[in-house]
Amino acid sequence: MKQNNIDNIIELSNELRWQIGDEFHDNLTESIYADAADIVKDSVRSNDSKRRFRLDAKIDKIVTSKRFGFPIMFLILGTVLWLTIQGANYPSSLLANLLLDTIHPALKSGAASLGMPWWLDGFLIDGVYLAVAWVIAVMLPPMAIFFPMFTLLEDFGYLPRVAFNLDALFNKSGAHGKQALTMSMGFGCNAAGVVAARIIDSPRERLIAILTNNFSLCNGRWPTQILIATIFIGAVVPKSSSSLVSLLAVIGVAVLGMAFMFGVSWGLSKTVLKGEVSTFNLELPPYRPPRFWKTIYTSLIDRTLIVLWRAIVFAAPAGAVIWLISNIHIGNESIAAWAINGMDGFGFLLGLNGVILLAYIVAIPANEIVIPTILMLTVLVTGVGVGEGAGVMFELDSINATADVLKAGGWTLLTAINLMLFSLLHNPCSTTIYTIYKETNSVKWTVVASVMPVILGFIVTFLVAQLWRLIF
Amino acid sequence: MYTYNPISALLVFFVAGGLLYFLFRPAKGWYWVLKNQFISNEKTIIEDVLKQLYHFENSNNKVDMKTLVHMLSFSNKRIVDAINKMTVNDLIYFESDILKLTEKGREYALRIVRVHRLWERYLADKTGFHKIEWHDRAESMEHRLNHDEVEELSMHLGHPKFDPHGDPIPTKTGKMAQVKGVELPLLQVGAVGRITHIEDEPEVIYKQILAENIHMGSLIKVVENNSTRIVFLSEGEEFKLAPIVAANLTVAPLEKEVAVEDNVARLSSLNEHETAKIIGISRESRGESRRRLLDLGFVKGANVSIDLVNPLGEPNAYLIKGTSIALRNDQAAKILIKKD
Repeated sequence: MKQNNIDNIIELSNELRWQIGDEFHDNLTESIYADAADIVKDSVRSNDSKRRFRLDAKIDKIVTSKRFGFPIMFLILGTVLWLTIQGANYPSSLLANLLLDTIHPALKSGAASLGMPWWLDGFLIDGVYLAVAWVIAVMLPPMAIFFPMFTLLEDFGYLPRVAFNLDALFNKSGAHGKQALTMSMGFGCNAAGVVAARIIDSPRERLIAILTNNFSLCNGRWPTQILIATIFIGAVVPKSSSSLVSLLAVIGVAVLGMAFMFGVSWGLSKTVLKGEVSTFNLELPPYRPPRFWKTIYTSLIDRTLIVLWRAIVFAAPAGAVIWLISNIHIGNESIAAWAINGMDGFGFLLGLNGVILLAYIVAIPANEIVIPTILMLTVLVTGVGVGEGAGVMFELDSINATADVLKAGGWTLLTAINLMLFSLLHNPCSTTIYTIYKETNSVKWTVVASVMPVILGFIVTFLVAQLWRLIF
Repeated sequence: MYTYNPISALLVFFVAGGLLYFLFRPAKGWYWVLKNQFISNEKTIIEDVLKQLYHFENSNNKVDMKTLVHMLSFSNKRIVDAINKMTVNDLIYFESDILKLTEKGREYALRIVRVHRLWERYLADKTGFHKIEWHDRAESMEHRLNHDEVEELSMHLGHPKFDPHGDPIPTKTGKMAQVKGVELPLLQVGAVGRITHIEDEPEVIYKQILAENIHMGSLIKVVENNSTRIVFLSEGEEFKLAPIVAANLTVAPLEKEVAVEDNVARLSSLNEHETAKIIGISRESRGESRRRLLDLGFVKGANVSIDLVNPLGEPNAYLIKGTSIALRNDQAAKILIKKD
């Protein structure tokens, strides 16, 4: 074709575009949809009355009613969490018994009989093996309980109703109702919560859900909260009410986390995420009996094992680092001691101490090993006569013994409160950070998600420490 | 162990925090203000002057130096410098003390207007920015895009004819569609028409119109028109506006006496146990959200009813094509229905 002809055609098409008007494209799309609907109406026969059978509608009326909707919701989610925390205790201690108290000494003696040099044996068994074993023992049972239960609820069709009930609250902070689900999932594991944000199809709301998931107190942090609350907060009230008060303290921290989630969601949607496209829709699928075994199987494979594997991959080098910093000496002090001394001043300003800050740095891979690391480092710098030696994480069987070690490390009630706050408000674990990167595919958002909570944690603990010191 | 005064620590913290806030708070932070000052060079001033002149000439107003300086937020000296340069470059000329655009200046001004409106269209269709922000963002963007980028943008958007407020977008060659219609206060009581344009300046009035939830492209019927207020019906709701606000709405009277559907309403006004048929989706719903609604089956002719009422007021779940879909009220307000 001659160039001239092509130009003519383009000219003509431009002219035609001009004549048919702006709404043409919209009208065309809409009429295609309408035509399709007409064809369906003529050719597909369905029994309307049967489609939403009565039981479905009845359940919906109850779970979304003003009077029962919210109590039912809190009851169900509370039960799931309680079952997880309580139910995980037994298998966790069983696993700890096996991996930490039986296999670990066996490995040590095996290594000794092979004549392994102390540094290799320490590095591999006390460092890498112990960290991995710890993560498995603490992480596997709650996840193996939480995820199947959650997936069953999802499969049954109840969770979309939770999103439906709560959307108005999330809407106020610029988020999506389904964030209620990713948040609840975060109580199990933040990495899984971040993955769960896929259910939110609006780009802005999905990013908000990903960036704020860390404010859900995850399984790795519940034990820390409960231990510290029992030792320090339970101790300031009469014995009869101490367990209730420490429980309330832990719940308070979790609720505070939700408050931060709402606040930060609001802030993000008003500032950095303002320009992202935002749409809303929420389908309420019909209820169906959950496919029990299939659900259990897929939730174990898809959620539990994948997350656990990632955690192990990250925990192994962390164990190595923990062992190395406690055993490599510069001058006459170990690296750990140098770092602790260096950070003590800043830690004190935040109402924490150098040990805690160092523990949170080396335990980025897994929140589960924070307490063992803190105990080990405290013993390292104070020289209290418990523990297994430099670089070997440990936990004590009795809460009183743990309390003694921590008090020897200079802990006060303020330290305990601020540790609980900092445990809530600090960077996500490396598994979560990696997952955020995978899900957002953006270095920028990964950095935001990692750094923002730490800064918040510094600010909150700093303010609490100053007020505390002014008042007491 | 460590001794320091908590009060001084707190003081340092709050001073630092306050400083950061004033530096970086959105829009008014000193950092952004300084940055804008730095960016706004001579080109910006020239283009802003051209645009102002263009708008004034289009509305048959005359502009002298004084009004112009008053309209623009640059220093007098910079404006005078820019105007001198523009006269030399044959973009404008003086007729006694009235400023006028030359042919070349008019062309340039049209290009700026084109970028501005295209960018507003882009913000409306492809981003999540609120309507209130479109204008200001387009104001700064119009100085930044070069010719090729503008063409690419236009193609990306499907060569739209109108911006989201209903203002025509000039084509590459300077051609421009006509906005049909007259200002709302000029309509008689009983007249029926379609809103074809919502003026976004001045901002105070525009905000008022937005607060009323008036939508582009909706049919209206005037029921009262006097010097104190104008009342009209649209999509099942009644709107009352002061004449000065109403003057910012352009309405095209319907030429043929089409049968105006009397009981057209917004989906958000549907009550429990009522059923309705969908008439269409308002043009106010754009881009991704509009497509999503169509995908979900909110198309012309579909039957809809309320499936579940939300305990917190919104979103309600609507039963459409056998599926229960929850929509927030602001979305439901953009779906037009006819109640059975």
